[in-house]
Amino acid sequence: MLDLLPTILIAASDASHVTDSSETVQSFMHTPLLWLARLGLVLLVLGIHLCLWRMIRGPHLADRVLAGDAMAMLVAGLVLVLAIKYDNAMFYDAALVVAILGFVSTVAFAQYIGATKKHANDPKAMPEEDAA
Amino acid sequence: MTTQLILDTLAIFFLIGGLFFMLVGAIGVLRLPDAYHRLHAASKCSTLGMMGLALAACLHVGTGDVIAKSIALILFIFVSTPVGSHMLAKAAHRDKADQWDGTLSDELEEDMAKDKAA
Repeated sequence: MLDLLPTILIAASDASHVTDSSETVQSFMHTPLLWLARLGLVLLVLGIHLCLWRMIRGPHLADRVLAGDAMAMLVAGLVLVLAIKYDNAMFYDAALVVAILGFVSTVAFAQYIGATKKHANDPKAMPEEDAA
Repeated sequence: MTTQLILDTLAIFFLIGGLFFMLVGAIGVLRLPDAYHRLHAASKCSTLGMMGLALAACLHVGTGDVIAKSIALILFIFVSTPVGSHMLAKAAHRDKADQWDGTLSDELEEDMAKDKAA
């Protein structure tokens, strides 16, 4: 039994390179799922362009920031659709990182808008606030 | 085989739902009249859309680490998106972002006036 151990270990290390999904039999709903993933890539890129348009013409800074937040969510969704299309688990880490970065940047920009541009629209309010 | 068939059908269902909500959110970000309405569209639709897409990818790939990561992703998004949208809406209100002409009430403004009077 101990003689077989190196052989078993080599076989296990070879098998670990093969992904699970390539060995399983694929159902007949697999092809529609892949076509839907391709269509989803197109739709999500279209949504990114709509948010980009809002980011370009947004009248207020908050409009641009929320367009960026929606774009981060759309990019994370795009990465998840790529995970479906290529059947690869590595894309999940990228989706998590994009979602976390979108949240952090939204919070940072909200602090920036609320803190530094408080009196941008009415300069009369400034001395009253300074006194208080 | 049958299990894979059921999982792929469920994945197609969740993928259609997630893509629908994502696209509706993007159209709402472009089309709605002011910053608060746009925040409404962006936060709700991207939360639901990301949940649908994460469930679809989780059902299709289906290994243990993917299931754990998708649960973590869904929980994180359900916590973080309302918090970020609330902070952004409050900052926009403090910066006096323009409101839509059809806006009926501004209760935060009334509460702040009441606090200042008291």
